[in-house]
Amino acid sequence: MSDTESSESGAHEHHEHHHDVEGPGYATPQAAIEEAERETVAYVPSLYVGTDVDAPDFLSVVDVNPDSDTYTEVIDRVEMPNKGDELHHFGWNACSSSCHVEGLERRHLVVPGQRSSRLHIIDTKDRENPEIVKVIEPEEVYEYDLSAPHTVHCIPDGEILISMLGNEDGDLPGGFLELNDDFEIEGRWDPPGEIEMNYDFWYQPRHNVMVSSEWAAPKTYYPGFDLEDVEAGKYGHKLHFWDWERGQLQQTVDLGEEGMIPLEVRFLHSPEAAHGYVGAALSSNIFHFYEREKEWFAEKVIDIEPREHEDWDMPVPGLITDLLVSMDDRYLFFSNWLHGDVRMYDVSDPSNPRLADQLWAGGLYGPRHPTGEDDRPVVAGPQMLQLSIDGERLYWTTSLFSTWDNQFYPEEGEKGSVMLKADVNPRKGTMTLDEDFLVDFGEMPNGPARAHEIRWPDGDCTSDVWQ
Amino acid sequence: MTERDGTAAERDGDGDRHRVELRWRGGGTETVRAAAAESVLEAAERADIGLPFGCRTGACATCTGRLLSGKIEHEREPRALKTDSLADGYVLLCIARPKTDCRIEVGTDVHSDLVTNPWK
Ligand code: FES
Repeated sequence: MSDTESSESGAHEHHEHHHDVEGPGYATPQAAIEEAERETVAYVPSLYVGTDVDAPDFLSVVDVNPDSDTYTEVIDRVEMPNKGDELHHFGWNACSSSCHVEGLERRHLVVPGQRSSRLHIIDTKDRENPEIVKVIEPEEVYEYDLSAPHTVHCIPDGEILISMLGNEDGDLPGGFLELNDDFEIEGRWDPPGEIEMNYDFWYQPRHNVMVSSEWAAPKTYYPGFDLEDVEAGKYGHKLHFWDWERGQLQQTVDLGEEGMIPLEVRFLHSPEAAHGYVGAALSSNIFHFYEREKEWFAEKVIDIEPREHEDWDMPVPGLITDLLVSMDDRYLFFSNWLHGDVRMYDVSDPSNPRLADQLWAGGLYGPRHPTGEDDRPVVAGPQMLQLSIDGERLYWTTSLFSTWDNQFYPEEGEKGSVMLKADVNPRKGTMTLDEDFLVDFGEMPNGPARAHEIRWPDGDCTSDVWQ
Repeated sequence: MTERDGTAAERDGDGDRHRVELRWRGGGTETVRAAAAESVLEAAERADIGLPFGCRTGACATCTGRLLSGKIEHEREPRALKTDSLADGYVLLCIARPKTDCRIEVGTDVHSDLVTNPWK
């Protein structure tokens, strides 16, 4: 990969990798590609918040092993102890960034409730039958004047960092909460008030940098999306670059009008790389961010044009809600939740992504029955993505956030989400929808459920970081 | 409000309790009695009636109901409701305390009144 202009700045805070120590994860992204076995189960948060199903949210264990009798079925459900959580994003207690920490295992999932601010710790020692081993109640979280947990990343020394989108009252500012390796709240990671809005984050230890993005105050986005709030400046359009060692904000880059609501942020996986991408959901643009002479820059590199729709008064934005970079750093994938397409770009030259392939499934413009006329309809668009470590299978679910789903795809609450899959050919740069793969979250014992983020037990393209 | 010991049901005589009629749009009603220190959501839970909720702090609007008659008081600022929704009688049941007997429309459809598609 081309990273010549920034590899020098990788010299500071460079921790040598201790190959003699057995920790979790893989030594390098390339080792992950070569050594990882094919994914056999997927963990997927599944939820009832925002529907009339009176039951707690749960974590689904989905069988993704084609040799299994229960392929494409939800084979286990870990019910939460309370209702009303809105399970959303989640993460591992350890990833490849802590592969120097002996005795640590990639075994526990930290599964927050977006609405409840409750944190669940799930032990996946038995992969197919995980169990809840600890719950941190909202009151404990509020003590740090934080709420609305979002992204969970393990950090190199075995601790866990969680982005929090609001203060105790669901107002601004948000911040970061740190847990220790016993899953106790260690405290706040950041001095309060460094940023106002928060959302996703990713870090790159060799460059001593963490980048965070912005959604809005919980009280703004929780109830649903209102254009008036955008006009009133209540939604984010900035990226924040942090001194990773010190937890201090170093630089803020304003993405401006074309960078409205920057959500998921991903660095390239190579620990040497000082390049990454962020998807601006509302303005439907992808920005490339990079470091040059200790300064961070962000440039728009992909633009999704809004499209007319006969039932809509105004052109419909693509609404880029998720993106990911393949483990070999060659491809960028993202989803246009409203339009209904998944795109694949070749990013061998990080500042000049080249469209490689695109596929349509559901959404406002894609086929309603992409896997066959007899199959259940796809009632929303592609949303959270996950790629196999070898880069050959791309999976996605269709729910965004209960209240936003109800606004844009009301049928999602009635019929539930689906999980779909495409076969990817990284050599040719193509994707083909696998018409034999459909996980139906409409068929759950308590009623149709929404499905959100996807994780593999052995690490994945949206959680593993290398030192 | 000042805190007192004991459960809400114990410490409040019948004089302080109000009848709350919960009505679902699809049909169906239930009546619960709410003690003075209880929110409508808590009173419903005590009666084993499932109402939607999320944050329980007045920030997320998952528990939105609409007051049809009677009087309620929000025990703290209902942050998830805009001024015009409040004026239209929408209430957040996790922090709404009945001050008189009330009739309240409940269920997830009530919240969807507040969030229409802004582009349509
Ligand atoms: S439960 Fe969130 S506002 Fe009532």
